[in-house]
Amino acid sequence: MIIGMSLAILAGSLVGLQNIFNSKMNERLGGWATTAYVLGFGFLASLILGFLFEGKQLFDLSNMKTWYGFSGMIGVAVVFCVVQGIKRIGPTYAISIVLASQLALALIWDSLGLFGLDKVPFTPRKGIGVMVIIAGLVVFKLSGKDSKTKT
Amino acid sequence: MKGIIFAFLGGACLTLQGVANAQIGERMGTWQAATLTQFTGFLLALLILIALRDRSWRKVTQVKPMYRIGGAFAAVIIFGNVTSIHLIGITFSISALLIAQLGVTFLIDSVGWFGMAKKKPSVPQYVGIGTMIAGILILGS
Repeated sequence: MIIGMSLAILAGSLVGLQNIFNSKMNERLGGWATTAYVLGFGFLASLILGFLFEGKQLFDLSNMKTWYGFSGMIGVAVVFCVVQGIKRIGPTYAISIVLASQLALALIWDSLGLFGLDKVPFTPRKGIGVMVIIAGLVVFKLSGKDSKTKT
Repeated sequence: MKGIIFAFLGGACLTLQGVANAQIGERMGTWQAATLTQFTGFLLALLILIALRDRSWRKVTQVKPMYRIGGAFAAVIIFGNVTSIHLIGITFSISALLIAQLGVTFLIDSVGWFGMAKKKPSVPQYVGIGTMIAGILILGS
């Protein structure tokens, strides 16, 4: 439990930091150029770390299914949707909705156990927990409305 | 209305990506999942860049070197995300991730690190973060 939580917090902190770095890059570069750089460096870093930890096994593709090759497109879809959302309704509302839908979908996914992930049964307590988090993030986002914080 | 739908889909895709990575990670290994996802995403972004004839990438020399390599964090982010989804489930994992993410952004904004315009934190923002943490305690108890 503690390990899972710590890893999630580490990942979240880095996402926050990365968003700031990316927005700095986005001040000079277009959106797609920024996206390409970000994913390119992500690829290089994963390749290097993966090779350090796993050696040649990193390139063992015998367990690969065809759809794995398309999974990266989801990330590009994220960028497109979020940018379009921000353009139309502004960063505060767009990001609030992005975060809320992310959480709501996570709960649905856990409860249904889609894609062969372990099913984590839905309990009213979980529903309440997620709703409280969403309420908190809406308060947080709307109260910092004039700030330009991204995701 | 369209903006709301785009934002909703963006969030949905973020969760979908976490789940897809977790699934790939289970079959092939976590580092394989991170490498593969970033590689195919990079290729697609590159294709779009070429199709749109976006030449702004040349200006990358005007960006501070530290900010250029922000993308490299993704290796650790995906590793942490995938491992955490396996250990504590999607809902709990994404909740913790989001709170940490908003917390760090909030901290950087309040202190004004990385040349960000310093923004004085407001009471409702503390209330919002407190509420989110209360929510995750409800989830976890």
